Amino acid sequence: MTSAYNTIWLRNLAIVKEARQWMKEGVISPEQFRLIGETYKSGFYHPNLMIRILLFIATLIALGGVTGLVGLMFAEIMEDAYAGLFLVYGIGSLLFLESVFIKRSHHYKSGVNEALLYHSLGFIIAAIAGFADFDSVTLTTVACFFVLGFSAWRYHDLISTGAALCAFAFLVFYEFYEMGGIFEQIIPLVFIAVFTPLYFLFRKFRNDKRAALWEDGLVLAEAFSLIMVYAAGNYFVVRELSINLLELNLEAGQDIPLAFLFYGLTVIIPMVYLYFGIKNKDVVLLRVSLLAIAFSVFTFKYYFSLGHPEFTLTGAGVVLVTIALLLFRYLKTPKAGWTRENILKEKWADMNPEAFIISQTMGGNQVVVDDSFKGGGGGFSGGGSSGTF
Amino acid sequence: MRPDDLKELRDQNLLTNDQFIRLELLSSKKIISVFYELRILLYLGVLLFTTGIGILIYKNIGDIGHMLSIGALIVVTVICFYYAFKNALDYDHGRVSGPTPYFDYIVLLGCLLFISVLTYLQFQYEIFDDGLGLTTLVTAAFFFYAAYRFDHLGVLSLAITALASFWSISLSPQKWYSGDFFEDANLHNTAIIFGAALSAAAMVLDKKSIKTHFTFTYVNFCSLMFLIGALAGVFINYNDYAVYLLILYAGCALTVYFAHLKKSFLFLIYAFVFGYIGTTFFLINTIMDDPGLWFFYFIASCGGFVFFIIRYKNYFKRAA
Repeated sequence: MTSAYNTIWLRNLAIVKEARQWMKEGVISPEQFRLIGETYKSGFYHPNLMIRILLFIATLIALGGVTGLVGLMFAEIMEDAYAGLFLVYGIGSLLFLESVFIKRSHHYKSGVNEALLYHSLGFIIAAIAGFADFDSVTLTTVACFFVLGFSAWRYHDLISTGAALCAFAFLVFYEFYEMGGIFEQIIPLVFIAVFTPLYFLFRKFRNDKRAALWEDGLVLAEAFSLIMVYAAGNYFVVRELSINLLELNLEAGQDIPLAFLFYGLTVIIPMVYLYFGIKNKDVVLLRVSLLAIAFSVFTFKYYFSLGHPEFTLTGAGVVLVTIALLLFRYLKTPKAGWTRENILKEKWADMNPEAFIISQTMGGNQVVVDDSFKGGGGGFSGGGSSGTF
Repeated sequence: MRPDDLKELRDQNLLTNDQFIRLELLSSKKIISVFYELRILLYLGVLLFTTGIGILIYKNIGDIGHMLSIGALIVVTVICFYYAFKNALDYDHGRVSGPTPYFDYIVLLGCLLFISVLTYLQFQYEIFDDGLGLTTLVTAAFFFYAAYRFDHLGVLSLAITALASFWSISLSPQKWYSGDFFEDANLHNTAIIFGAALSAAAMVLDKKSIKTHFTFTYVNFCSLMFLIGALAGVFINYNDYAVYLLILYAGCALTVYFAHLKKSFLFLIYAFVFGYIGTTFFLINTIMDDPGLWFFYFIASCGGFVFFIIRYKNYFKRAA
C-alpha cells in the first residue's frame, strides 16, 4: 500500500503544472505547453484553488449534516459505545473517500478530498482517544502522529504533514516534561539532538528520486526540523518556557541555567543556517535563516531594550530597506549563481494578495481621522447573538 | 523539477535545446533567484520604518528638534516621489511594470510617509479644520492618482481603504471577530451604496479598458463591502429584513456574474458564503424549527452544490 493516487498521473500533473509556469513566463510557447499536456496526461479532477476552497466549505457543511443525522439515529447507544461508533464512522468515511472519490471519480486534492479526509481523521483520532476516555495525553498524541502521518504519506496532504510533525514535537516535549527533574531541564538539548538528525534524514529523502511525489511534504518537514532546532536553542524560548512551564523562579540578577550556551546558540544557529544556505544554495535553509535572524534580533531587543521601541522600529526599517536595496543593486548582474531577477514566478506570487496584505498591514486603519463613530460599544456581533434587536 | 525530468522533456522534443539550457540552469540550482526574499525584506523594512516614524511623530509632538524630524520626513517623502516621477515609464492604459524590481516599494514608501506628513500637519496646524476628515479624502485622491500614474495595486488598495474610511467604513477582516465591524446603525447602508457605486465606476473603467488589471482589486473590496453591508442589514433589521435579503441576493448575482466574466472564482466563494448565510437565516426564521430538518437541509443544499460544481467542472476551469 503506497500512495492512494495513480503515481504516473501525479508525476504528469506535476510536470504540466510546472510547464504552465514556463508558459506564463514566456519561456515556452502555448503550442509547446499544449503538446506537453498531451504527452503527460493525467485524468485527475484537480480544480483551481478557489474552487477547491468552495468545495471544501460546502463538503464540510454537508458532512456536518450527515454526521448529525447519523448521530440522531444512534443517539440511544451513543452513551456506551461512542468510541467504537466513531471508529466505524471514521474508517467508513475514509473508505468512502478512497473508493468513490479517489478510485472512481479520480479526485486529487479537490477540496472534497480534503474535507472528507479531515472529517474521517478527526473521528478516528477521537475514537482512539476515546478508548482511554480522553485521559491519556500520550495515547492521544501518538494516535494523532500515526493517523496524520499515514494521511501525509498516503494522500500527500500538507496540512496532515505539518500536524503530524507538530504532534511528534509535542510528544517529545510532553514525555520529558512528565518525567520531571533533570529530564525537564534537558528538553532543549533533546530537541536539538532529535531534530538535527531528522533534518538530515528528511533532506536525504528529498534527494531520493523515489520520494519525488512527496517533495512538498519533505520541504515542510525540513523547514520544521530547522525551526525546532533553532527554537530549542533560542534564549527567549528557553527562558520563557522555563518560567511558565517549569515554574522556574528567577530573582533579579539570576539567569537560567546554561544562559551563556543559549545566548550563543541564539546567535550562532541563524549564522550557520545562513552560511550553509548561501554556500549550498539551499533555499529552505536560506528562508529559515532569515526568519531566525529576525527572531534573534527580537530576542536581544527584548532583554536589552533601551525603552524606545519607535527608534528600534524606525532603525530596523532603515537597515532592512538599505540592505535590500544594496542587494538589489549588487545582484543586478548575477553573482555566483544568485540573481535578483524574477526568473520563474512562484504560483502564489501575484500582486493581488500582496495588495490585500499591504492594505491590511499598512495605512488601512491609520488614515481614519474622525473618531466620531469609535467606541460606541459593540452592539452588533454577528449571527444574532446579542440582544440589540 | 528534477534535471532528469527536464532531460526527458528535451529527448521527446517537447523543449528546444535553448529552452532546455535555460530551464536546466534553474533546476540544477546553478542560478537561484532571491527576487521574493529581497521583496519581502523591502516590504518589512518599509512596514517597520513607517510604523516607527508614525509612533515617533505621535510621541514627540511639540518637542524641540521635532521640526527637524518633520523636515527630514518631508525630505524623504519628496525624494521618494522625485525618484518615482523621474524613473517611471510613461503612463499607459495597459499594464506598466516598474523600471526596477524595487520601484514599487519606493512608491509605497513615499505614499505611506505622505500619510504621516499629512496626518501630522492636520494634527498640528489643523489645515483642514472642518472636522469632516478631509485629510482622508485628500489622501484618497492622491493615492488614486499615484496608483494610476505608477501602476501600483498596493497603493490602489490603500486608496480604496482611505476613500472608504472617509465614509466611515473600515474594511478590515481583523475587526470581524471583535464584532465592531459596523457600529453605527446606518453604516451598512453606506457600505452598500459605496460598494455599488465604486464597483460600477470600476466596471465603466474596465469597459473603457483603462487599467483593466485594477478591476479585480476594486471589485474585491467593493463586493465584500456590499455583501457584508447587506448581510448586516438582514441581521440588524430583524423584523423587516426582506429588502436587505433581496439586496443581498442581487449582490450575490452580480458577484457571480463578475466571476463568470473574469473567470475569477474567488467571487464565487463570496457569493456562496454570503448567499448561504442569508438563505439559512431566512429559512430558520420561517419554516425550519426542527433540528432534524436542518441536517437534511445541509446535506441537500451543500451536497447539491458540490454535485453541481463537479458536474459542470469544465465551466469552472480557469482559462489556460
